[in-house]
Amino acid sequence: MLRAAHGQQHAQATKRSWNVVVFSVGGMKLAARTEDVGGVSPWTESIPVPSRTPFVQSMLKRDNHVMPVYYLATRLSRKLTGSPLLCLVARQLDGPMAICIDADVPSLETVDATAIRPNDRGDIETLGSVTIGENDVAIVELQRLGRSRQDAVRSSEY
Amino acid sequence: MSLRGRHNSTNMLVETASFLVVRLGGSYVALPADGVRGVLTQAEAGNEQAVTAAGTVYQPVDLAQRLSVVANLSSLEMRTVLYSTDRSHGAIRVEQVVGLTDVERKDCLPLPPQFQRDERNWFGGMMLYQDQLVLILNPSWALGELADVIPVSVGQAEQVVAATTAAVGGSC
Repeated sequence: MLRAAHGQQHAQATKRSWNVVVFSVGGMKLAARTEDVGGVSPWTESIPVPSRTPFVQSMLKRDNHVMPVYYLATRLSRKLTGSPLLCLVARQLDGPMAICIDADVPSLETVDATAIRPNDRGDIETLGSVTIGENDVAIVELQRLGRSRQDAVRSSEY
Repeated sequence: MSLRGRHNSTNMLVETASFLVVRLGGSYVALPADGVRGVLTQAEAGNEQAVTAAGTVYQPVDLAQRLSVVANLSSLEMRTVLYSTDRSHGAIRVEQVVGLTDVERKDCLPLPPQFQRDERNWFGGMMLYQDQLVLILNPSWALGELADVIPVSVGQAEQVVAATTAAVGGSC
């Protein structure tokens, strides 16, 4: 459920370029490496789970499989927009984790690795930022979501 | 008792575990059935906090409050589950008793590792029952035999995961 970006067909998968999925959370454009994304599908109602883990307080059931939900929008203090909302599955070493994102269909982009800049935003784990179109887009490190000290810092405000 | 029906596995050769499934708000919770001593209606339980049955005093357990779950405990379907472990006896009020079920142990799943804090103490695992996600309660914690553990860092959380898995003894 991804929309191919303009010129994407011509991109070369070399070590000097990264393939990323560009998605939106509360209108904020974010990106993630394609290898860290397990898929995108329509969002379905999540099941609440009593939990004290910051931003991990429900699960999503798909057929006979369940996966935890990470409330990225809550962490970023954003309100999801559009309908129907979408589910982005983050691939983690611990297993898949669902993230609810805006209804805007994500796109695939190829970015030059040399164009990726380090960033110092403290609100989320990133691999850097890159300019896509007119947007400065943070590349979210999905593997580290829910595992870093920043979660603990933000959860004190949660 | 007002159970919705017992769902048995037909294959007697497989290893199973029995659970009483209850509901608190939007959460379905399974209690290992070997500790269930009785299920009482509001009228049977009376208005006292502690319940005495067959000479045993069951201390009140506010499970909804302990799990920070909003539950309607004034409905007609509210029940009090009398529960015993080797060390403790508790009267657990639940919003609804959903049913009794036998589950193959292979169908008891661990809580995903992304859940890192106290909930690993609260639940030994999870399972699916009548298409619902059901969390398997750790009775020792529910009856107050285990203190909550509040890790302050990811490293400590990983230690809690390992420690509570050992303490609870697997998913079911």
